[in-house]
Amino acid sequence: MEKLLIEATKSSPFIRFDHAEHTLEIRGESYPENAAKAYAPMFAWLEEYLQGLQDDVVRVDLEITYFNSSSSKILMNFFDMLEDAAQAGKKIVVNWHYHEDNETALECGEEFMEDMELVEFNLREISDEES
Amino acid sequence: MLDLFNFYKELKKEGIIFCFSGPTSQAIVEGVGEALKQKMQVEETTGKTARNLFSVFVEQMQNVIHYSAEPIVLSENEGEELRYGIVIVGQENEKFYVLSGNYIEKTHGDEIEKKLLAIQKMDKEEMKAYFKEQRRKEPDALSKGAGLGFIETARKASEPIEFVIDQVDENYCFFTIKAVI
Repeated sequence: MEKLLIEATKSSPFIRFDHAEHTLEIRGESYPENAAKAYAPMFAWLEEYLQGLQDDVVRVDLEITYFNSSSSKILMNFFDMLEDAAQAGKKIVVNWHYHEDNETALECGEEFMEDMELVEFNLREISDEES
Repeated sequence: MLDLFNFYKELKKEGIIFCFSGPTSQAIVEGVGEALKQKMQVEETTGKTARNLFSVFVEQMQNVIHYSAEPIVLSENEGEELRYGIVIVGQENEKFYVLSGNYIEKTHGDEIEKKLLAIQKMDKEEMKAYFKEQRRKEPDALSKGAGLGFIETARKASEPIEFVIDQVDENYCFFTIKAVI
């Protein structure tokens, strides 16, 4: 399998999934016209990856500043796939990064976190000093 | 119509910041969305208000793109869709609002009305629970996205969302929805 690299557009985020490093990264804004279609390659990659996953810890870093309602559904499906993998004994760590001024992104992260059981879900604040 | 001055003055008088009527596309959502963000930044609108306004604007524009009963078929494949509608962003009583309208098929009118009447009765906690429940469900047959646009709009609004469904003829209605941020 190959790494997944998708460049950002005005309405879709940067995606970099690395099966060798076991890192999944999504950064940017998400409000494509057809979210299901826009994210189909990501789900295809993830499914193949999770099937072949052994004992490695998967690190997921998300920094999504804004997403529309249909992208919200996509993210829920994404987290549900990770949760299923965690239920099957895989170790998954999600870091939800949000800027200190963006309380909306924090609230969205909290709402996803509430729906996760075995996935380790961390909320990570980014302050201006760091960036 | 040649002289737009009176029309323009009328828009200004009504507090209308942005008014779009015509075939709506994703490119317009992105372009006008960017302009709205810049305007907010210049006027130092608080982050939360600017984010909520942008979010409702995107949901309403994409609602027109997906559900207006006045489409332009560009090509047979599932490429960019173009559908007619009208979307207004304005300000009244110191609050922003997004107002949008489009034709819908008469058969969809009842379903939309039922959905919106239910949402109107919810408080913020009930909206959150409903949103999370719907997000986990398969979208209903009418939905092209996730079927979450109305509830997302209601959650970002500071007042209950309002709507009107005008009867047009035996096949169509005209649907108007307003969200105050």
